[in-house]
Amino acid sequence: MKRLFKGVSVGLLGCALMFSALTSSADRSVKVLGWGAQSGPLKSFGVNSETALRSAVAEINAAGGVKLGDGTMVPIEVIGYEDSACKKDQNIAILRKTASTTDAIVAMGTTCSGACQAMFGVLQKKVGDASDSGLQMPMLADTCIRPGLAKISEWAFRNVPNEIDMYDALFAWLSQQHPGIKTFSGGTETDQGHSFITHTKVIVQAAIRHGFEWVGPAVPELGPKVGQGAKELQAATKTQHWLMGDTNYSVQARKIKKQNPDMVLVSSHPFSACGFLKEMKRQRVKPKLLVGLTSSASQETLNGCMKEAEGIIIPTGFAPITPAAQKANEIVSKAGGFLDLHSAAAWENAYLVKAAVEAAGISANPDNLAEDRAKFRNALAGITAAEGLIGPVTRNAEGEASKPYVYVQVVDGKWKVIHDPRG
Amino acid sequence: MEDFWYEFVEVTQTITDGLLFGSTYALIGVGFTLIFGAMGKLNMAYAAAALGGAYAGLAGFVLIKAPLVLVFGISAVAAAVLGYAIYFVCFRFIPVNNHLAALMASVGGLFFIDEVVVHVTRGSPLTFPSMFGDVFFEIGPYGIRGDLVFVFVIGLISTGILLYILFKTRLGLATRAVAQQDVAARLCGIGVHSTNSVTFAIAGVLGGIAGAMTAAAVGVLSPVMTVPLTIKGIIVAVIGGLGSIPGAIIAGLFVGAFENVFLYFRGIDERDMYVVALLFIFLVFRPNGLFGTAITRD
Repeated sequence: MKRLFKGVSVGLLGCALMFSALTSSADRSVKVLGWGAQSGPLKSFGVNSETALRSAVAEINAAGGVKLGDGTMVPIEVIGYEDSACKKDQNIAILRKTASTTDAIVAMGTTCSGACQAMFGVLQKKVGDASDSGLQMPMLADTCIRPGLAKISEWAFRNVPNEIDMYDALFAWLSQQHPGIKTFSGGTETDQGHSFITHTKVIVQAAIRHGFEWVGPAVPELGPKVGQGAKELQAATKTQHWLMGDTNYSVQARKIKKQNPDMVLVSSHPFSACGFLKEMKRQRVKPKLLVGLTSSASQETLNGCMKEAEGIIIPTGFAPITPAAQKANEIVSKAGGFLDLHSAAAWENAYLVKAAVEAAGISANPDNLAEDRAKFRNALAGITAAEGLIGPVTRNAEGEASKPYVYVQVVDGKWKVIHDPRG
Repeated sequence: MEDFWYEFVEVTQTITDGLLFGSTYALIGVGFTLIFGAMGKLNMAYAAAALGGAYAGLAGFVLIKAPLVLVFGISAVAAAVLGYAIYFVCFRFIPVNNHLAALMASVGGLFFIDEVVVHVTRGSPLTFPSMFGDVFFEIGPYGIRGDLVFVFVIGLISTGILLYILFKTRLGLATRAVAQQDVAARLCGIGVHSTNSVTFAIAGVLGGIAGAMTAAAVGVLSPVMTVPLTIKGIIVAVIGGLGSIPGAIIAGLFVGAFENVFLYFRGIDERDMYVVALLFIFLVFRPNGLFGTAITRD
């Protein structure tokens, strides 16, 4: 009886262990956690990125998932998409929570450049630096676009367009296409880091570099180099800028009207860009050309001021010009999202995660989480080229991407691709 | 001399624009001051309800192709309903003397309405139809926007109607009685809660018109407008004198002109600093505002 009891016990134990092993294998997945603005005025950015990320992950899983180090195919699991509301403290709190309480192998998002900058600051600066107690959590960003943020930490990677290249090429092209346009001026929203920095350090200088003459307030220090005379420009032009939540743009529009530029730069997100464009129309300001901020190449601009934005030209990292981009656009649209330069990057990031996981040979075992994260980071750093939705995406040693881009223009109330610099 | 003339024209144009746009601040400020006058409490959710009403009007425009007059009407009615709801949720059941609880409840109301709008619209800016948006009067070197003149006139008419209600009707008498001494008003058979709720609804009507006017003046409606309008409304109400309707109107126009002048001379980075400094100056040297009297409510 004792033998029988022992035998049954051993058998049951063996069954239990086997079932447990089978269950854990079946439950294994590569976990990722995303976040972005899910509330507040920039909610649409977060919603579109989430929809794109989840749609891409569903596509990957439907095609078999990702291969782990032991050869097992497992799905990618988006274990959550948090609301960071574009607030620095909220972003940092979510990052800390993700790193310490979840099995996520990589953190994905987030919406605002200022939030990214703050968040990257709590990551370990250099991999393997024992004296740095910063978080060791890979972070793959899709939206925060302000130039130069990924160099803050070796754990930070960005798949965002390089605005310095984009505006440089745009003005080079515009100078050829519109030789009659000689002068320019413009304004920006000073409370949005991306708009303000890009306007005063990148866009104005790029226009000067390609022969356009600045006719705003005199700034002798202005020049063609990135950032040249930016501080002086910020000081001299503060009466023709605005804030994101402003409701009255009369002074700014009148100042620009007086300068009578051929080309006006509206370096602003959709709401205030629309407010300013409408005020320009009311005051009969009719420049020959309008150039906008990358983030305004979106559906929101058409929702807010389709008529007034007619003719505006913006460089963007996404347009449905390839079969892959068209397919992704269709899938995300069906899921209720809108694919633009930011959310398209979220789609591409899902495929980057697949590539990095397969290159790293991770185990997806919670017991090896720290090791898996480190392997994943190293693999991601090693991927210096990947196929994006509209063409190859490369990444430099600082974790910054170089992406293909096209120029879009509002024509008859719709975004239309007017030029692809790749020919 | 030519420079001086140019600068003179620019500054007077800036002041004119500011005065006209200030009429939207005045309408918001009147709502704040009306509720404060009636209850001695600040309704922080007032501007959010005003813009909520404007969104309802816009929904009418988009969904049933409502004409512009109806859009403004829907905005007013929707904001009145929201105003009543705010009274019911944030003020009705909170003890009269617990001012902080009511204040915080209305702050909650502000963020709740704002987030509902954000969730429905995904935060996307939406085109708001403009009345007389293409009308632009050019008088010599000056240009005056027709739609802002319209806002100004509607503001004056709305305020006139409001003053008539307050001083020429039984409802207004009841409102003033409750504002002065609610216990005595109750003893006279006036329903304090019903009077307060109607006051919130009337303030809501005004807010709905203000919200729609502001959205029409900007041409775009977006949740990013809520907090700046709330701040401007409070500043206007305080500078005008909490409880004083004429004070709110004059302060609204004044703040509109003042901020535009500082934007013109000092730029966007400093504009709001001067507006807030103006508020501090009033709080320190004239705490009852331009036309306010010392609070006499028991």
